[in-house]
Amino acid sequence: MHVYEVFVKKDGRDEFRHVGALEAANDDLALVLAREAYLRRAEGDRMWVVRRDHVVAAADDFVDPNADKPHRHHDGAAVAARRKAARQSQG
Amino acid sequence: MPATASEPQGVREYLLAFADDEHLMGQQHTEWIGVAPFLEEDLAFSSIGQDELGHAALLYELVLELDGIDPTDTAIDSIAFGRPSRYYRCCHLVEYTTRDWAEALVRHWIYDTFEEMRWRLVAGSSRPRLAAIARKALQEEAFHRRHADALLDKLLASPEARERILEAFETVGPLAGGLCEPVVGEAEVIDEGVAAASTGSLLEPLQQAIGQRFGYWDSIGSPAANSQGGRTVRSADFEPLMARMREVLDYDPEAVW
Repeated sequence: MHVYEVFVKKDGRDEFRHVGALEAANDDLALVLAREAYLRRAEGDRMWVVRRDHVVAAADDFVDPNADKPHRHHDGAAVAARRKAARQSQG
Repeated sequence: MPATASEPQGVREYLLAFADDEHLMGQQHTEWIGVAPFLEEDLAFSSIGQDELGHAALLYELVLELDGIDPTDTAIDSIAFGRPSRYYRCCHLVEYTTRDWAEALVRHWIYDTFEEMRWRLVAGSSRPRLAAIARKALQEEAFHRRHADALLDKLLASPEARERILEAFETVGPLAGGLCEPVVGEAEVIDEGVAAASTGSLLEPLQQAIGQRFGYWDSIGSPAANSQGGRTVRSADFEPLMARMREVLDYDPEAVW
């Protein structure tokens, strides 16, 4: 048995979204079972199932350092405030 | 349950047999709700049962219209649950009380393999409503068959599961021929273009499909070998099944839902 992650997309506009997971013996059973577990009320019109062990996952400490880099945030309000302060100091 | 004078009895019998098969198959599937082998299978099998019950309701509507009765929900319930057993036209495969999940799965595969062929015979029916129901049903059947095939592909590939599936087939398989038994007066169905070919013509393709799936088909029998008298004879499992189906209804037959 494998764990499959299930992704569903609605009506051509939205992106695929993760909706849950299930255990299945093979790809075809995963599709068959996911259809009734996650799309039985027309929650979407397209579906992906992906074996969890086929997902390339980053280690937590690989991503963590980027949590502490506020200078990379393009916040319009902060830039506007700096420009305003600059104009006022010149004026 | 008389037919109106202008409608041949054969058409009514044909639609009734189709509806009764769908009704009983759907009801039997629902008995696995909550106790199927695992959660996702529980959901999938319930959905399939629900589809079959939906087909049954639509077919009963056609029967009621032939009888000149307004097909209200109450009227559909009445024809589905309220007839004396001699007026049912189901085959013995759908009456059979399975003993375990393996038998239920084998029956599911056999039934849906046949059902898809049966809908194809009426997909170009001279009755537009029947043809429209067939188009919808065939979309659903594609899923039913894929579900049954996906499970059997996996199970038949593993020695222990294969043994249990084939053991179940020994019991359920011989009832398959009865699916192809026509009702009395079916010739009228063909003459009127209600169906493209006789129910009996499905026996050979059904045998071939069963042979490919389970490796052999000689034990499944033919309509002649286990004739139900034009589907007029009920098996021993019918009354207990009907009692289970009517259990809630019988508490208060006049209740409004």
